[in-house]
Amino acid sequence: MVAKSVWKSYGQVRALIDATFQIDTGETVAIVGDNGAGKSTLVKILTGAIQPDAGSLELGGREVAFRTTRDSLQLGVTAVYQNLALADNMTVAENVFLGRVPTRWLRVDRRRMERESAELLGSLAINVPDVRARTASLSGGQRQAVAIARSFRSGRQLMILDEPTAALGVQEGQKVLDIIEGLKGQRVSIIVVSHNLDHVFRVADRIVVMRGGRIVGSRRKEETTTADIVHLIVGTRE
Amino acid sequence: MADTNQAIQANTNRSPAFRFGLSRYRQLIALLIAVLLLWTVLSFASPYFMTVQNLTNIALQSSVVGIMAVGFTILLIGGEIDLAIGSTQALAGTLAALLIIQRGLSIWAGVLIVLAMGLIVGNVNGYFSLFTKVPSFIVTLAMLGVLQGLAFVMTSGQTIGGFPEAFKVLGHGRVGVIPLPVIIFFSVTVLVQLVLSQTRYGVELYATGGNREAAGLVGISVRRVLMLAFIASSMLCTLAGLVLSARLNAGHGSFGSESLLDAVAAVIIGGTSLNGGAGNTFGTLLGIILISTIKNGLILLGVDPFWQQVAVGALILAAVLVDKTIKGELSPKDLLPRLVRR
Repeated sequence: MVAKSVWKSYGQVRALIDATFQIDTGETVAIVGDNGAGKSTLVKILTGAIQPDAGSLELGGREVAFRTTRDSLQLGVTAVYQNLALADNMTVAENVFLGRVPTRWLRVDRRRMERESAELLGSLAINVPDVRARTASLSGGQRQAVAIARSFRSGRQLMILDEPTAALGVQEGQKVLDIIEGLKGQRVSIIVVSHNLDHVFRVADRIVVMRGGRIVGSRRKEETTTADIVHLIVGTRE
Repeated sequence: MADTNQAIQANTNRSPAFRFGLSRYRQLIALLIAVLLLWTVLSFASPYFMTVQNLTNIALQSSVVGIMAVGFTILLIGGEIDLAIGSTQALAGTLAALLIIQRGLSIWAGVLIVLAMGLIVGNVNGYFSLFTKVPSFIVTLAMLGVLQGLAFVMTSGQTIGGFPEAFKVLGHGRVGVIPLPVIIFFSVTVLVQLVLSQTRYGVELYATGGNREAAGLVGISVRRVLMLAFIASSMLCTLAGLVLSARLNAGHGSFGSESLLDAVAAVIIGGTSLNGGAGNTFGTLLGIILISTIKNGLILLGVDPFWQQVAVGALILAAVLVDKTIKGELSPKDLLPRLVRR
């Protein structure tokens, strides 16, 4: 996916200034930056949650225009947001299939949902007590894992994970990172937005740094250091 | 690979409670026990309670409000509210009387126009609540006044009576020994529950009520889902209005306007979450039977009828407090005033 010269303003505030971003098939890119750097604006534009004032998007070499998140979903672009991921009143299987519930003779095909959810979660080595359990009964890490599984199911082209470990404890955060690493062999492109540089260095192939609405650097993981990235984030090095 | 197999096994493991589905029906079973207990107590307290005539009366009293309450359940599951259900019902009955009795329209034409009115009311409620971002609480409170006023204006506050016999069947007909309104109510309850639990729309409604933003982000058209819920609620109120006017053989702006309290109570007692995302129509059915039983029992025991409203109001409060306590949002000690606790 490519975002070319994208601009976005909210009133007088310039949230995104001439941002050009690219991610290749199967690549995992981390977007880092301070609060207000423009990370959320960029990923919202990539999913169609908001529209850019100028610039264009390309997916698989073709120009695309996402007016809503449904448009991007149809082309296999999904996002997992920090606190908006799941409907807690519903089961794990229902959450995995949310938005694309299978039916048979107009009836919801629960058997299929439960079977395929169990297979999907199993293939990603995600442990939940039961796919029929309400997600409200799961731990934070399990909930995040279910949200990632759902995103993976519909996001065959690009998955965007917004702060996937922010609200989790150390152990649960590590488990979620294991799942992200497990996804890397599946030919899906992954964008991880995170403040945690240790986590970023563990899962990303490339790190993109944003500051003040601009993309100020892009480094391959092997060619950079934490200190280098921190300098880019705070603006002591270009 | 071992990890994967372990994970699949864990994901398909089911606890005994889930296997028998009991945990999902805990609230319904508790409500059923409450109704049966009340019936047992009242059957000892009054010799007239456990008679076919009296039980038929309870079922009939439950039916009209029950149909409205089922509509209210749909909307509350979606996280919205309709305070105009009583006045929609009143307007439907009044309009039916005006068209069929006063204007001499055929029953079918009159009923179709009344149903169209319900469709319009649902669309208006939905449009203002979903597209103007005014909370449905305010929109439908305003509509309560508008619809109630229209019902009185149309008939200059007069009662219009004398429906044709064929129309009165809707309120007085029987299939075997069972009154038609009871059959309509039960059918509506089952049909709506099937839609809620078995169709894609039902899943989307629960998701929307549970987490509206998440539902929107996975591609569910939240506005379409909720618009249909507003329309369903108004249409069911319209049906209730037709049944009530047929039962009373008349239409008037005040008929059924007081049923809002009972309908809301039935839905809340029935376990539908005030925050949306949870609930079912069988709970609502048991809720309205419980309320009708209490009202009936108070009459049989010779209690002043005005105490009925007090009982229903207190029941709503009790149901909400019990619900919050079960969910862990409220501890029993929070119910005591600070001074008492000290």
